[in-house]
Amino acid sequence: MSGLLTLLIFLLLGSLLQTLLHLPVPASIVGMLLLLLALILRGKAPDNLQRITQTLSPLLPLFLIPVSVGIITQKQLLAEHGVELLIILALSLIPGALVSALIMRKGGKSGL
Amino acid sequence: MTHLFSLPLFWAALTIAAFLAGQQLYRRTGNNAFIPPILTGVVLVVSCLELSGVSYQTYMQGGHYLNLMLGPVVVMLAVPLYQFIHTMRKQWLRIALAVTLGSGTTIACAVLLAHFWIGDDAITRTIYTKSITTPVALAISEQVGGISALASAFVIITGILGALMIPPLLKTLRMDEPQTLGLTLGICAHAIGTSRALELGPQQSAYAAMAMTLTATLHALVLPWIV
Repeated sequence: MSGLLTLLIFLLLGSLLQTLLHLPVPASIVGMLLLLLALILRGKAPDNLQRITQTLSPLLPLFLIPVSVGIITQKQLLAEHGVELLIILALSLIPGALVSALIMRKGGKSGL
Repeated sequence: MTHLFSLPLFWAALTIAAFLAGQQLYRRTGNNAFIPPILTGVVLVVSCLELSGVSYQTYMQGGHYLNLMLGPVVVMLAVPLYQFIHTMRKQWLRIALAVTLGSGTTIACAVLLAHFWIGDDAITRTIYTKSITTPVALAISEQVGGISALASAFVIITGILGALMIPPLLKTLRMDEPQTLGLTLGICAHAIGTSRALELGPQQSAYAAMAMTLTATLHALVLPWIV
C-alpha cells in the first residue's frame, strides 16, 4: 500500500505544480515526470513502487472501461463518420510505421 | 429490477465482471491481441446499458469509482520508463528519432485526413491522441478540447489495426528484425501493439513497451502546446 501512497502523493504534487504554473500538460503527466525525476535522482526504483506496478498494471484495462463505454453517447457521430474514421485510422498507420522502421534500421546500420 | 439498475454499486460490479469475462476470453484464445480484454469489457457493458435502457450518466456514478484510479496509473508509468532509460542508453538517438518522427508522421496523416475529409473540429482535436496509450490519451484529450469517449475508441481501434497490419507490412518489406518490429508496434499501436509484440518474442516486446511509454510521454508534453 505504501507504493499506492507514493503514487497519490506524486499525483497531488503534479496537480499543485500544474495549477501554480498554469501548465497545459495534464496533472497526472506532471506527477509522472516528477516521479521519474525522483527515481533518476535516487538511482533505483524502490520495491514498494515495483510491487504496486506489478499489481496495478494487469488491472489497467479495467480502469479504462468506464470512459470507453462513453462511446454510446457518440452514436450519431459514428453513424455519420464511422466509415471515414476507420479508413483514416488504418491509412495513417502505414506512413508512420514505415518512418519508424526505416529510422530504426538505418540507425542500426550506421551505428547510431 | 429498475431499483437495482439505479444503484451505482451495481454498475461498478458489472464493469468488474465484464473485465474478468474479457480477461478469460483473452486467455482462452491464447492471448489473441485482436480481442483485448478492454474491447470485450466495453462491448459487454455497452450491451447491458442498451438492453436496460440505463443512461451513461447513471452508469458513470458507479463507473466513477474505477475511473478514479486512472490518475495514479499514469503516474505509475514512471517506473517502467525509468527502467527503459537504462536499456536504451546505447541506442538512444535512433530510438528518440524513430519515436518522434514515426509517431509524428502517423498523427500528421490522421489529422490532415480528418481535417480535410470530415472537417469537424472536435474530431480533429480528438484524433491527435490516437497513437498513445488510453490513460494518457484521455488526460490529453480533455486538456485539448477533444471528446474523451471518442479518444478511447480511436486508441483501441488504432491499436487493433496496428497489431493487425504492422507485422505483415514490415515482413513484406523485409524490415521485420525483432527490435525494429517491436519499436514500430509500440510507436504506432501502443499497448495493444505491445501485447501483440509479446506473442512475437521477448525482444520485440521489450522494445514495444519502451516505444509505447516514450511515445505517450512525448505526446503528453508536446500536444497541449500545439493543438
